[in-house]
Amino acid sequence: MTMQLLSANHGAALAATLAARANRFGRGFCSGVYPITPSTECMEYLCQQKIEKGRVIRVESEHSAMGVCIGTAAAGARTFTATSSNGLAYMYENCIAAAALRLPVVMAVANRTMGPPWNIWADHSDALTLRDHGLIQFYCADNQELFDTVLAAFRLAEDRRVMMPAMVCMEGFILSHTVAQTEIPEQEKVDRFLPPTDIPHRLGTTPHTLGQIEIPHQTEVHRWQHHLAMLEVPDVYAQVQYEFEAVFGRSLDDAVVPYRAEDAETLIVSMGTIGATAETVVDMLREAGEKAGALRIRLFRPLPQDAIRTVYAGKKHIAVIDRNIGLGLGGVLWTDTRCLADSGTVVQNYLAGLGGGDVRPEHIVKMLTDLKPRKVAGPPVMMEAV
Amino acid sequence: MDHPSPFTAALPDGLDLPLEVRVHGRGGQGGVTCAKLIAALFTQMGLYVQTFGDYGSERSGAPVQAYTRVDRSPINNRNKVYRPNHLIVLDEGLLGPQILEGVAPGSLLLLNSHAGLESYAGRFERYRFGVVDATTIAREQGIGSSAVVIINTTILGAYARLLGLPLSVLEKAYASQGVDGDLPAAQHAYEQVRGRDALEGGDGTPSAAAPAAAAVAAMLSHSQDFPASLKTGSWSNQAPVYGEHPAPCNIGCPAGNDVVGFVQALRSGGVEEAAAILLKTQPLPSVCGRVCPAPCMQACNRHAFDGAVNIRSLERWIGDRCSLELVPQPAEKPRRIAVVGGGPAGLSAAFQLAHGGHKVTIFEAGPALGGVLRSGIPLFRLPDDALQRDLGRILRLGVEVQCNARVDKTGLQRLTREFDGAIVATGFGPAFGLGAEGETLAGVEQGLDFLDRAKQGGVALEGTVVVVGGGNSAIDCARTALRCGASAVKLVYRRSRQDMPAIAEEIEDALHEGVELLQHRQPVAFTGESKVTAATIAEVEPGPPDASGRRRPVVTARTAKLDCGTVLLALGQKSGLEFLPEGWTMREGRAFKGGEALPVWFAGDCATADGTVTHAIGNGRRAAEAVLGGDLLPGRMPEGMPVAPGQIRFSHFEVAPQHADREIAPSLLKGNFAEVNLGLTGPEEAQRCFSCGHCTRCDTCLVSCPEGVILRMEDGYNIDSAYCKGCGMCVAECPRGAMEMHTKQEAGA
Repeated sequence: MTMQLLSANHGAALAATLAARANRFGRGFCSGVYPITPSTECMEYLCQQKIEKGRVIRVESEHSAMGVCIGTAAAGARTFTATSSNGLAYMYENCIAAAALRLPVVMAVANRTMGPPWNIWADHSDALTLRDHGLIQFYCADNQELFDTVLAAFRLAEDRRVMMPAMVCMEGFILSHTVAQTEIPEQEKVDRFLPPTDIPHRLGTTPHTLGQIEIPHQTEVHRWQHHLAMLEVPDVYAQVQYEFEAVFGRSLDDAVVPYRAEDAETLIVSMGTIGATAETVVDMLREAGEKAGALRIRLFRPLPQDAIRTVYAGKKHIAVIDRNIGLGLGGVLWTDTRCLADSGTVVQNYLAGLGGGDVRPEHIVKMLTDLKPRKVAGPPVMMEAV
Repeated sequence: MDHPSPFTAALPDGLDLPLEVRVHGRGGQGGVTCAKLIAALFTQMGLYVQTFGDYGSERSGAPVQAYTRVDRSPINNRNKVYRPNHLIVLDEGLLGPQILEGVAPGSLLLLNSHAGLESYAGRFERYRFGVVDATTIAREQGIGSSAVVIINTTILGAYARLLGLPLSVLEKAYASQGVDGDLPAAQHAYEQVRGRDALEGGDGTPSAAAPAAAAVAAMLSHSQDFPASLKTGSWSNQAPVYGEHPAPCNIGCPAGNDVVGFVQALRSGGVEEAAAILLKTQPLPSVCGRVCPAPCMQACNRHAFDGAVNIRSLERWIGDRCSLELVPQPAEKPRRIAVVGGGPAGLSAAFQLAHGGHKVTIFEAGPALGGVLRSGIPLFRLPDDALQRDLGRILRLGVEVQCNARVDKTGLQRLTREFDGAIVATGFGPAFGLGAEGETLAGVEQGLDFLDRAKQGGVALEGTVVVVGGGNSAIDCARTALRCGASAVKLVYRRSRQDMPAIAEEIEDALHEGVELLQHRQPVAFTGESKVTAATIAEVEPGPPDASGRRRPVVTARTAKLDCGTVLLALGQKSGLEFLPEGWTMREGRAFKGGEALPVWFAGDCATADGTVTHAIGNGRRAAEAVLGGDLLPGRMPEGMPVAPGQIRFSHFEVAPQHADREIAPSLLKGNFAEVNLGLTGPEEAQRCFSCGHCTRCDTCLVSCPEGVILRMEDGYNIDSAYCKGCGMCVAECPRGAMEMHTKQEAGA
């Protein structure tokens, strides 16, 4: 085990590299890559690594990058790619294809505002466009968590009961480019944690077509199968956590991360690095005698409804902070989870950090000041992070 | 998360945690890596660290910030650093009130600066302040390039010193980042940094007195509209400047004409506007527009593209058509000046002086003004009306003329007393002879004498005429001889055609008219009874090079006889100052008697022997200036580097061949002295002028500016320096090299 000063981008690439090498006992590794700010560092780092029985292929577009992953995953390889915002949008139909073809491609997504107008800074809207298409989604808050989650994503996605793509998200620049100490396990440990990729429907010696035309009834079946597989993810993930700790001696965070939430009256809910800021605010408020708590949603799809419902229960006020907006309705985390609270709880949506603004403790304090007197939830509130 | 790493260094005394560090630099200077190195430094002490750059529209030179946090427990906060305990400024040009936002009194401020600590007396007193010349150290150590020195690994040495850390803590940190090669630089900075404590109170932790972070805006409505103002002018340390640079035609003109000026004026304003510029320095435009060798055309940058601009004929166009009436300017102290010699130099001097409001009298030895223009240049090259047009313009300025008034030694001394000053412009002296046997036979004469007789009319020749020489006079003699009735004209020159100093077009015309050129030949004797009947022509070889590198022609013994009835010698002329009074010498264009400077100046061929009308005109003008200024008259001063063809953007221009002169090919030459070259049919040729080094307001800069910050003003352009990022597109796109990039003197200026 070594401690390295790495950006999260580099951490993701290093995790993918270790996972790639681990599949030298299997059918190897392949990655199709294309650069885009703020993800570029990740593919650059990956391109510099020596991977036995593996290839990183620089293609001409993100669409083709996922195409490479689909093709090589269909051949049974372990696959990985990285992108962001408009690159993800360009990759879009192939992401849906990878999901529908039930291929365990792992993606590192550096969340960035969709353009034009061009904005390079953090926003969750890019990954959230793929919310409903059957890809697992994680949102991380620090460097170690990101590294560990990418490693674990291979294990989770390739599990027979799951077998679908997994997106591991980090906010652009705030996390992707931030450098911090990251514990890197030895290759032998990764070899133990990640068994060789085994895709049951891979293209083998018997030629067949993957992804043919289908009639409505077949689609019904396939969608439902996919949905049921997603519902299995929390249980599989718990097993992955267990194995992770056994091999690496470190724990992998749960699907949702509550912080001093059990006896809280006010709960701050968020995804990504805002979650870490929320924990700072909770400490401040607790210091002042307020019963505040936080909940960071780590696994967004499938949504861990039961776990969330448990934390939401008994709260008076819940502030759901979204670094995104579902235009015409409200923040996606709010619309997805507000129904999980008790009927009397005020679940208020605060939109903060859209377009990459720096969300600071003062902003969250202001949100709670606004939330406190509310007896009912109002429309989503836009907070300007100036 | 487990403890990050075993201790390898102790925490310095007095260092409070959590610690927030902010680094200010310019893109490309290594500011982000500097923050990362600081993080690596603190990991040696077993602390948790976090470091990142503030990313935006960064580019080389743009202000950049980077942050590092240090703490004993895992760091949750990922905001930017708003209240730094330590502020590191990599470029003193970034210093300003904004940079100190959030910095509490007592905080550490470390500055990279060439100036010493004393220069900052009275400034930044509220902070613990340190300054080190990291740039010089890093440059000496060869870190980065000489244009972009990377100082991050250097300045960290100063940082360690100010924190009270031993230099050794940098060793492991640098090794972990692969920059241990830069440790010597860090050591220099460690030794050279100078610091002082905060003079007012404050221990470095953010206090209530520190400026708070920006207030959180109201939540229910927009507080500010966009776009946010981003003064990108501060991103650059270079700015574009419109500058006039010498055009090669101007540099090349011996008369000092503003060639690019009059051609552009013709193009945009017409004949009169062009004449106003041309006549400032050129009193004989119709003449030079016909007979000048046009060094401007040889220098013309368009020559490297699709053919030089036909400047000579444009000058002729202006001279032949302008009706500009010049009026003598009032002179502060009108002088009375005598000009000896009515040739181009004397006329030019007289023109300038009369236009300047002074009283001028020309003393001309011959029966009429003009000098070689009158007697030496044939009518088919310089018609009489063209010469008269230019002479009339000069005379209408009030110049007095006395013809048939040769000035000898006594006369010159008398003029010196009677006038305030005198300009001697008597031209060349006697012509060179061959020194060959039989040269005194009738029928062998000097070419200039022949041309003078022929111009007056009635000269008849027959048979073969031999012309000896390679200059313009030789060509003129040859072509005149044809018109006077010669059945054949042989032009004998001892070198090759390429070596002939005559104007190339004239040589071409001569050959076209039927003159036969005998290269590498020289007459060595003439034979005949009383009149010449044959010339003995010897072959000439290029011999060994002389001191100047030019091969000296060697006359061989291989000869042949050439029947002829006339021989014209055009071998050049000696200098002609034999008539100077005793004791007078000429030095730098002025007469001296012993050590005493006399009020007598010399202009034209008698002084410089340049041998062309245009040189004489320039020299005459400068002589006039010297008279009025009481100065010497040294040769032409170099006027700076002309715009080179490489500075012209040829791709901006469409290929358009030169408008050539119309020429009449006379079917019958005998007795036909009509002008052969009829010049241009219109002034469109002026459109082809690139205007090298001079802005023509073509708007290319304005159109190519990616920021749109170039505006048309009344008399040029204005570039908004608040937004100009110094990208240099305008300078690169300028078709005519009329712009350049300058380094800004002050940061943000």
